[in-house]
Amino acid sequence: MKQDVIIVGAGIAGLRSAYELSRLGLSSVIVEREAFPGGHAARLSCKATDQCQRCGACQLEDVLEQVRSSSRASLLLRSTIESCDRTDRGFLVRISRRPIRIVPELCIDCGACASLCPSPGAIARSPLDYGLYVDEGRCGLFTGASCRACAEVCPEHAINLTEPAKEIEVEAAAFILASGFKAFDPSDKPRFGYGLVPGVVSALELDEMLRQDAFSVVADSGPIRSVAFIQCVGSRDPRIGRNYCSRVCCGYAMRMARLLKSRFPGVEPWMFYMDIQTYDRDFDRRLKEAEQEVRLVRTIPAEIRSGPDNRPELVYHGPADERVVQAFDLVVLSVGISSAGLIPEAQMLGIGTNRDGFLGGNAEETATIAPGVFLAGTVQGPRSIPDSISHAIRAASEAASHLARSEGGR
Amino acid sequence: MTFEAAESVFLNRAPLPETRDFSRVLVLGGNGLGRALAERIAAAGFEVLLTGEVDGPTRPSNVSLVPDAVVEDVQGFVGAFDVILRTSGDRLSERVGFVVAAQPAQLVPRFANYGLSRSDRVIALSDLLSSEDLSALPARRGDWFHAAFLSGLRGESDPADFNRVLAAIERLRGLGAVQCYVFTRNAKVAAAGLERRYRESREAGALFFKFDDDGPSFEESPDDPVIVFREPLLGTEMELIADLLVVDERPLVAPSLKPLLDGIPSSPVTRPFLQPESTRFGGVNTAKAGIFAVGPARGVFAPDLAEGDIEAVLAALKAAASDEGMEDRPGPPLVDPAKCTMCLTCVRLCPHGALTFHDSAVADPLTCMRCGICAAECPMRAISLAPPPGKTPPERIVGEEIVSRGDEARIVLFLCSRSGAQAVEKIRIPENVVPVTVPCAGTIELEQILSAFRNGAAAVVAAGCFSGNCASVYGTDLAQGKFGLAREYLQQAGISPDRLVFVPVAANTPERLVQSLSQVGALIRGPGF
Repeated sequence: MKQDVIIVGAGIAGLRSAYELSRLGLSSVIVEREAFPGGHAARLSCKATDQCQRCGACQLEDVLEQVRSSSRASLLLRSTIESCDRTDRGFLVRISRRPIRIVPELCIDCGACASLCPSPGAIARSPLDYGLYVDEGRCGLFTGASCRACAEVCPEHAINLTEPAKEIEVEAAAFILASGFKAFDPSDKPRFGYGLVPGVVSALELDEMLRQDAFSVVADSGPIRSVAFIQCVGSRDPRIGRNYCSRVCCGYAMRMARLLKSRFPGVEPWMFYMDIQTYDRDFDRRLKEAEQEVRLVRTIPAEIRSGPDNRPELVYHGPADERVVQAFDLVVLSVGISSAGLIPEAQMLGIGTNRDGFLGGNAEETATIAPGVFLAGTVQGPRSIPDSISHAIRAASEAASHLARSEGGR
Repeated sequence: MTFEAAESVFLNRAPLPETRDFSRVLVLGGNGLGRALAERIAAAGFEVLLTGEVDGPTRPSNVSLVPDAVVEDVQGFVGAFDVILRTSGDRLSERVGFVVAAQPAQLVPRFANYGLSRSDRVIALSDLLSSEDLSALPARRGDWFHAAFLSGLRGESDPADFNRVLAAIERLRGLGAVQCYVFTRNAKVAAAGLERRYRESREAGALFFKFDDDGPSFEESPDDPVIVFREPLLGTEMELIADLLVVDERPLVAPSLKPLLDGIPSSPVTRPFLQPESTRFGGVNTAKAGIFAVGPARGVFAPDLAEGDIEAVLAALKAAASDEGMEDRPGPPLVDPAKCTMCLTCVRLCPHGALTFHDSAVADPLTCMRCGICAAECPMRAISLAPPPGKTPPERIVGEEIVSRGDEARIVLFLCSRSGAQAVEKIRIPENVVPVTVPCAGTIELEQILSAFRNGAAAVVAAGCFSGNCASVYGTDLAQGKFGLAREYLQQAGISPDRLVFVPVAANTPERLVQSLSQVGALIRGPGF
């Protein structure tokens, strides 16, 4: 297969790069490791109250639709790049594509497979309703057992557990790496009690609850009134190698707090912070509005522990120079954006990391030291969805210029 | 729209272009960014006309530069904009294919917010950054030079501003024996490398005081700016006599955007920015085809992010210059000249500025986004939406045959193609719900709603975008207004207004639609219906 550009990662940056390339008349193939496209954005909820809060999460649906309807962009799910060689035309890449195992065209979503499966989570549902798939990390068949219960019960014979991985060879003139970020693992900061203290969740987990409309269920089981958002968990913290601001978490927490307040008016959101970052245009007005709904406390708690009534308890330095111990119904850790590290594709292409561990240089650039290799979105550094979209457009445009130059040079 | 703007629409209206030329670009610049942008797109083969100052000693290459030109008027459509430029001695009339607004922000010092006025020892941040010779600064009165910076205390600051403060501190350090103080609310470090720079500044001795309120007050005598404040951590009252007090600046969008804003009818809700609020206008797009917003014009004041817009402009120009994706689109709305009375409601309301008029109103096919607001708002019903190739035109009346299938009470569900229609794909709707997809919620007509009731619907629900997320800028706001009106009509007619619901949704909020449908479903099955 010949393509103009290979894109690694079908998150919002990779998808938008592909769409932008197609508008420029160029073909691309997106190589996505997961069984579904969308990346992190697929798991984010809409933050609108009765007004849009400009989080940009819904842009995923728009761009996915644009990519689907484009004849120039194609998407390889569950695929990884095995090797990559430079040629005079650019790159010769071998891709391994593992099957989804549940053929979407045949699946009628009857649920028979999931009901018989002995391994929880092995029959998984993609976000964005991209259908069911077999999670090979959980399925017994791929981890030593010999169970084929799902394939046998499926009335449509939609499940194929024996299909081998396919090798696909692609020749392309340019690369866009858009493989995204890794959310900071809050258990690396044990004083915040994540995984130890009941009622302490990461912001992404709260978001997932909101997306699946499960917050009301949680709230019903015991009314949730006070919610504390803790900022800078895994950001602005050189002791753990994160000497940078993750740029999105203030806006993320604030939007989530306002969404909670709007949908569950009894909820009282608090936000513990170092500095509130400007996260949108017209921020003056937005912050004033937010201050009506969210209690802001300038301090990061020293400790989060389990209180006497089993609720999580914050210990912090209060505004009147006193030690405060305050219990909340829910504590939300605003985890930062971390680099996914030196991914194999970067190693193959000869790209290093910057001082914060992200790929490429230290500024906003999409170009790299490797000719014909470009970066888009959070693989290069923390950025919001709208900024990732801008970055992806820039990467696509630069890749297109690279193609024009290399063709002109021949 | 101001009276002047309305008059300008009347007098200077452009007829639909007979020919278009996609090779000429007008770049409204004013600093290094405008220059870099102009040179970049010129290198890609576009013919570029650049206004405004260019940073740097040389003239930009391959670019026609009119440094003192100010845009006075922009009319027309993509591929054929007629622009009037005023220079110091002349008025130039130019025809260009695209207009790119890349004017730098105007930095307005906040002296008045602090009750200060400019003097030798009280200056704006730009004054300090642009002064070539630091020895021209006022003399130190002791062994140390005490420089105080105010940042974001009366009006929020942003990373671009904070970065400039840090740059100024680094520069002052060169003088030796300098103590810098920063009075701020929040250290704005949300940009590449800024946290590191902030930390280095602190380690090098700069002191940062963060306030939760307006912060210090000032006793000002011409020679001695005295800063009086309560130290935020210790809580003690302090006084600082500064050798230099540096005041922050508010970035304002360049006033020269006005003629561009005036040409886009939806601009009253996007002002002061040229790019609408909705995140659907990604990259450098504006509501009007062929007009692009870079940096401050789209609300992005950070220079490193604005620089990224250069490539986005190039991509947008190349894509617009080719015909990609045009062939599958339906045609623009058709205006029946026999019915059009030239009331120009459509011209005033088209969010994209796609309509003009000659003998009757007419839409530019390359500018029109097919939202259908013009057709819905035309009081003479002179405008109809053209169907996509090979399809029939959309129904404007919800007929009996649609509503009264089966025995159960029906709910007519209008779906905006950009939000409701995407959300509904993810859910199973009850049997008694009749979906009707419309291009934009703004196209739902009062008459359409009432016809649904007349023909037997028990309830009408519309799922459109959240306010601020509409691809037609204010289509959803128009719809919500109409629904409010229709609810009043129902009430007056003795029908419960709860039968008519507008539910804002996005593609990723199908649960809100489910909730609304189940509430309405329960209502019409309940007592009294």
